[in-house]
Amino acid sequence: MSMRSQVYEWSNLAAGGAGLTSTSTLRRTVDAQPQVVPKDREYDIFIGGIGNNITKPAETTATQFIVIEDIACSAYLGGAVQVRINTTDYFQNPDVTDQAGVPGLASPYPRGSSNELPAGTANLIADNTQLLKSFDLYPDVYVLPGQVFQILYSLTTTNADYPAAGNTAVVSAFVKYTLYDGPDALIANKLLELGVTINPNNVDWYKRTLIEQQQRSRVAATATNGGSA
Amino acid sequence: MSMRSQVYQWNSQAGTTPAADAQAGTSMSIFIGGFGNNITKPAETTATQFVVIEDVAVSPSAFTYTGVGADDVVYRGLTIGATETGVAGNRAYIQVRINTTDYFLDPDNVGNDGIPGAASPYPRSTDFQPCFNLYPDVYVLPGQVFDALVTFYNTGATGSTILNCGLWAFMKYTLYDGPDALIANKLLEMGISINPGNVDWYKRTLIQSQSAPAMPSA
Repeated sequence: MSMRSQVYEWSNLAAGGAGLTSTSTLRRTVDAQPQVVPKDREYDIFIGGIGNNITKPAETTATQFIVIEDIACSAYLGGAVQVRINTTDYFQNPDVTDQAGVPGLASPYPRGSSNELPAGTANLIADNTQLLKSFDLYPDVYVLPGQVFQILYSLTTTNADYPAAGNTAVVSAFVKYTLYDGPDALIANKLLELGVTINPNNVDWYKRTLIEQQQRSRVAATATNGGSA
Repeated sequence: MSMRSQVYQWNSQAGTTPAADAQAGTSMSIFIGGFGNNITKPAETTATQFVVIEDVAVSPSAFTYTGVGADDVVYRGLTIGATETGVAGNRAYIQVRINTTDYFLDPDNVGNDGIPGAASPYPRSTDFQPCFNLYPDVYVLPGQVFDALVTFYNTGATGSTILNCGLWAFMKYTLYDGPDALIANKLLEMGISINPGNVDWYKRTLIQSQSAPAMPSA
């Protein structure tokens, strides 16, 4: 299993149960409560200190290669997701200034969710907006061996007292990537050098090419030795 | 019929022991977990079988806000849980396990809960569309045990019907048996994706090589 499709889902849910006050938890907890996410700040969905987090920054080892294929987030509150590799933001404005990244409106999570959460139970239930994606992360984003990557979520309006006083909205983000490990990571590096897109099909193609080359070499060696191997 | 498309559906409320809130936060096997509909023994391949898992899905969830009102409120067909978490539905995830290895990992290389129902919903609807497809597929080699584990985190949202947050899971796989399983192994060695099209291609190649005219002698 050296090529594996992976996903990571983040939400601002943490500190379920009485007496738990932390704004983040390692992994997930039962009946976790939505935490306040201040506006106009970028939060790493892996180690940002809000919601479900992991133990250390997301990074590839020397024998791993990651291809990020999709990112998405809640469409309301001006949510957006940015990809950062080491210290470089992937999405930028045409004048090369910083931006928030892909808006949740363009890549909503969950697919089919609404662009707003109307105030009041009756209005919420009546809302039937179903957003589709208008963004496709293509070409994919490569995380080379030894690099650190972050998925940064931000919103332009805080989720506290949204949509009405006393409410706290749940926000979420999602990333889908393929993890190449061991020999497949080496092949991914080789494809990168060759300028070939890195995907499972092309990694398999490269393996086949190697096998065919070995077979040809073996046949040629046999012929050179007068028919004996 | 040596290549067969197969599905398995799990309903947490079927069988003799339905899943309940007490199971929140713990993973349940959809095959032999003891809750919902189960089968008689762990899912495994024999020496002459090869399984390719092509899709897994679980009941979706929707994200709202606190203060909606618990239990009786249904948002997009999903009940808001007993505790006001702002989540409608079970907040369920599905993990694939081969022998003792979890397939889905967090970026810190620790096994996670798997695919969220919000990313791979079952059933699919216009409200809940997939943003995940299981590619590359998951291969279960001859003699391996495979499992799908469901974990949910939102209590008070389980129910007996789809519209009332029943916790459902789904797996779609292709079973290669007998000679086709041998071919599947051969394709795996060759680094070729295992699917019915490539298995048929390999068979055609074998037939063509057998029926090709003999090389003329020098």
